[in-house]
Amino acid sequence: MKIELISFGKIAEFINNQNIEIDGIADTDAFKQYLENQFPALKSMKYKLALNKNIVQENTEITNNATIAIMPPFSGG
Amino acid sequence: MSAERYNRQIILKGFGEEAQQQLLRAKVLVIGAGGLGCPALQYLAAAGIGHIGIVDDDTISLSNLHRQILFTTADIGKLKVEVAAKRLQEMNTQIGIIRHPIRLQKNNILDILSRYDYILDGTDNFESRYLINDACALLNKPLIFAAVSGFEGQLAIFNTPDHLTPSTNYRDLFPISPDKEEVANCAENGVLGVLPGILGTMAATETIKLIAKIGQPLTNKILSYNLLTQEQYTINISHGGGYTMPKTVDEFLNMEYQDTSEGPQGYIEIDASELVKLQQLESTILIDVRERHEVPILDKQIFTQVPMSEFGAFMNKEFYQKHVVLICQHGIRSVAAAEAMQEKYGDAKKIYSLKGGIVKWRDHFLKP
Repeated sequence: MKIELISFGKIAEFINNQNIEIDGIADTDAFKQYLENQFPALKSMKYKLALNKNIVQENTEITNNATIAIMPPFSGG
Repeated sequence: MSAERYNRQIILKGFGEEAQQQLLRAKVLVIGAGGLGCPALQYLAAAGIGHIGIVDDDTISLSNLHRQILFTTADIGKLKVEVAAKRLQEMNTQIGIIRHPIRLQKNNILDILSRYDYILDGTDNFESRYLINDACALLNKPLIFAAVSGFEGQLAIFNTPDHLTPSTNYRDLFPISPDKEEVANCAENGVLGVLPGILGTMAATETIKLIAKIGQPLTNKILSYNLLTQEQYTINISHGGGYTMPKTVDEFLNMEYQDTSEGPQGYIEIDASELVKLQQLESTILIDVRERHEVPILDKQIFTQVPMSEFGAFMNKEFYQKHVVLICQHGIRSVAAAEAMQEKYGDAKKIYSLKGGIVKWRDHFLKP
């Protein structure tokens, strides 16, 4: 399955925008697990995932060529 | 109303007389007269928002001027709300501008917000943002949210229903405030003046769109902006869960918005005069936990440099001083360091954190 991964803020410092090819991951819970294994720094950060421009609030199926965004909170002003 | 002043908006197809009237009747509160607040205020006042409130308890510093564009060199040291209000009033003599030279807290925010119809969050810390978010939800006030970090920004409209979704709020995105240690930014990460300039103007834009009912406001959406690429990415927000929102005034007043826990925390937050007293005691160590590149540079004879990134290693070593004062730029990281110290040393040492940090007590630190 092909997934386009895009990231923002501090997360973009260690996760580049990239296309990944992964198998055996069918939903957002599994993908989050995969991300945190690949990028352990995520474990101690607050962030939200969006699937095809929709915020992920509960476990959601991922289909081929999905775009997943990883977004941290900003506070600066 | 001076039709001449707003003529160029009024003749614009898609805007017009009725939209201008709506701007003039609107009451907008801008919280924070800083990097985001200044451009937002500039354009809201120019456009003819009839009633604008400004909240900020801070005074103007030299390092503000690269991005807080309502202020001049001669204004350094003055209250931001005073200078902003004066400048805006000079630009637009027909609108009302209300100064709130205070810091919003649980005990005053509901009263102040209730006087306005639209709230624009231009603050610079999570504590305020969650406080404002919850207050807006409780009071049913549309919240225009803008924030920056590095070369990126975020913009959203919360607490406003659209035809598809009942209103969402900031906690539907980020239910829990980040920890102090996660907030590495403060003022040290730095920012280009144009970034809050752009986001502040975009926030004013969304406010105008909401009031005049034009275009597609970012209701229940969050727009991510990248200054370096000029890319924007907009995400739809839906209702989340896993958080507590106060539903009554009593519940609101019982919420905890500060990151320090209530009850005996052990370490004490001190001010500059208490710092001076502690310095005079024999067994005191003053620890500057800022990273080595941060300014102003302090006298290393007086302030031991232990950046947060090296703090763990420092804690593994023994040191004899009984009084430990932690200092950082804004008093946020020093609290995290104080908590760590308190946990390790408990009753063996007395731990202090300088509340508000070097920025709050700049006169003390920059004495010749």
